[in-house]
Amino acid sequence: MTALALTVNDSATMLRRNLKRAVRYPGLTVIVAALPIVFLLLFVFVFGGTLGAGLGLPAGGRAEYLAYVVPGILVLAITGGAQGTAIGIAMDMTEGIIARFRTMSIARASVLTGHVVGAVIQTMVGLALVVAVALLIGFRPEANAVEWLAVIGVLGMTSFALSWLSVAMGLWTRTVEAASNVPMPLMLLPFFGSGFVPVESMPAGLRWFAEHQPFTPIIETVRGLLTGTAIGSSGLVATAWCAGIALVGYLWARRNYERRPAR
Amino acid sequence: MTAPALPRHRSAALAESLVLVGRSVRLSRRDVETLVMAIALPLLMMALFVYVFGGAIETGGAYLTYVVPGIVLLCVGFGAAATAPAVADDMGRGMVDRLRSMPVAAAALVTGHVVASVARNALATGVVVAAAIAMGFRPDAEPLEWAAALGLLLLYVLALSALAAGLGALASSVQSASALTFFMLFLPYLSSAFVPTGTMPAVLRAVAEHQPITPVIETVRGLLTGAPIGSAGWAAVLWCVGLLVVSSGFAAWAYRRRTRR
Repeated sequence: MTALALTVNDSATMLRRNLKRAVRYPGLTVIVAALPIVFLLLFVFVFGGTLGAGLGLPAGGRAEYLAYVVPGILVLAITGGAQGTAIGIAMDMTEGIIARFRTMSIARASVLTGHVVGAVIQTMVGLALVVAVALLIGFRPEANAVEWLAVIGVLGMTSFALSWLSVAMGLWTRTVEAASNVPMPLMLLPFFGSGFVPVESMPAGLRWFAEHQPFTPIIETVRGLLTGTAIGSSGLVATAWCAGIALVGYLWARRNYERRPAR
Repeated sequence: MTAPALPRHRSAALAESLVLVGRSVRLSRRDVETLVMAIALPLLMMALFVYVFGGAIETGGAYLTYVVPGIVLLCVGFGAAATAPAVADDMGRGMVDRLRSMPVAAAALVTGHVVASVARNALATGVVVAAAIAMGFRPDAEPLEWAAALGLLLLYVLALSALAAGLGALASSVQSASALTFFMLFLPYLSSAFVPTGTMPAVLRAVAEHQPITPVIETVRGLLTGAPIGSAGWAAVLWCVGLLVVSSGFAAWAYRRRTRR
């Protein structure tokens, strides 16, 4: 077998390990979905009446706000999944399984690849739960099949990029507790974007930040695909951000993984 | 054989309480992480709601003016909830057993934690209100109104801290003590803290209007910013006094239940 085939083979084994864990602890996937669902219900039912009126649409109410907020909630769920990934890899690090893998003749990167691909699959299942709840409370997207595929693609690429970043964070921290704290800024970032209120309603400095941070183009792309709002250049910008974050995360993760002394 | 009752001066219970108050305050002061969180979280929520969401929320005036009382209530709820893990920690690590081997009033330990909670919350509230004023909050309250608002907040903090102390005594671990107080952190969102209850769906509105936090917020808001209070003032005082009586009883019961073994 070639080196590449071996790497793919080992990565598939590691992916199976992560998927098995996800299946045996379904609670981990439910947690990915639970917090965003609470936020969805809170923002739609408690704040939705007021925030819907503040959308700047001709008719603004709870239903309009529900359609507006779902993309933001989905991105929030992805960041929550990223936190879970960081915790998972930190646990692997502290509990010695990675030290064990190091002694075996397997492709070194396969442990990380397995975590990333497993995390993307787990997050996508969590996102499906969030969408199901949104549909249940009256979300009616106008997307056709192709647009739905594009939505899955954009969310998948976001999850892929953030998973590499969070794997790097998980390797970088020394304790599981720190691994759950370091991704916190990532989880706050969707709030400082166009996910929950239009950027036009924010004060100037914040508005500039919201317009130029990575989650806003991602959210705008998903929103455009789901509800038919204008996408413009958001799709391209979102792709560029995700590629950049994935690359940085990958390089950072590899560096941490190589440097980490085996115990 | 029962131990002979030692002659005790009436002021002994007070002195013991003071010693344990000092201990709890020192514990709070040294647990910098909890203290910083208790201040940072409300500040973050205030910045988020005022700067990010505030522009899209219509409350018939500056949103900052509307939201500050809610943030203060969120802040003290969070601070009071920290009493539960503190009490659970004492229960689990033998502090209670040590105290019970000495002639110390049974209530002194819980009193210490509750008073420390009030001190913590006074500090956090001070920082939050100062930050709000720096952000442009201009309360038009008279000294008497300030005193009334602070008095109500004190009652509320005492009631919640006693409740949290009871839950902490009941919990089997520090983690479960934190989990038991989750509703204290969540209830403010289902109140008039962030948006007027009139904008909520009927069922939620009924919950929001009949839970204790809404009248307390409405009263503090009215006292500080001159919004109409109406019957919220009496409702708030009744809720707080009622909660205080019930949770003190609950805390005493939970404490005795844990220490009877």
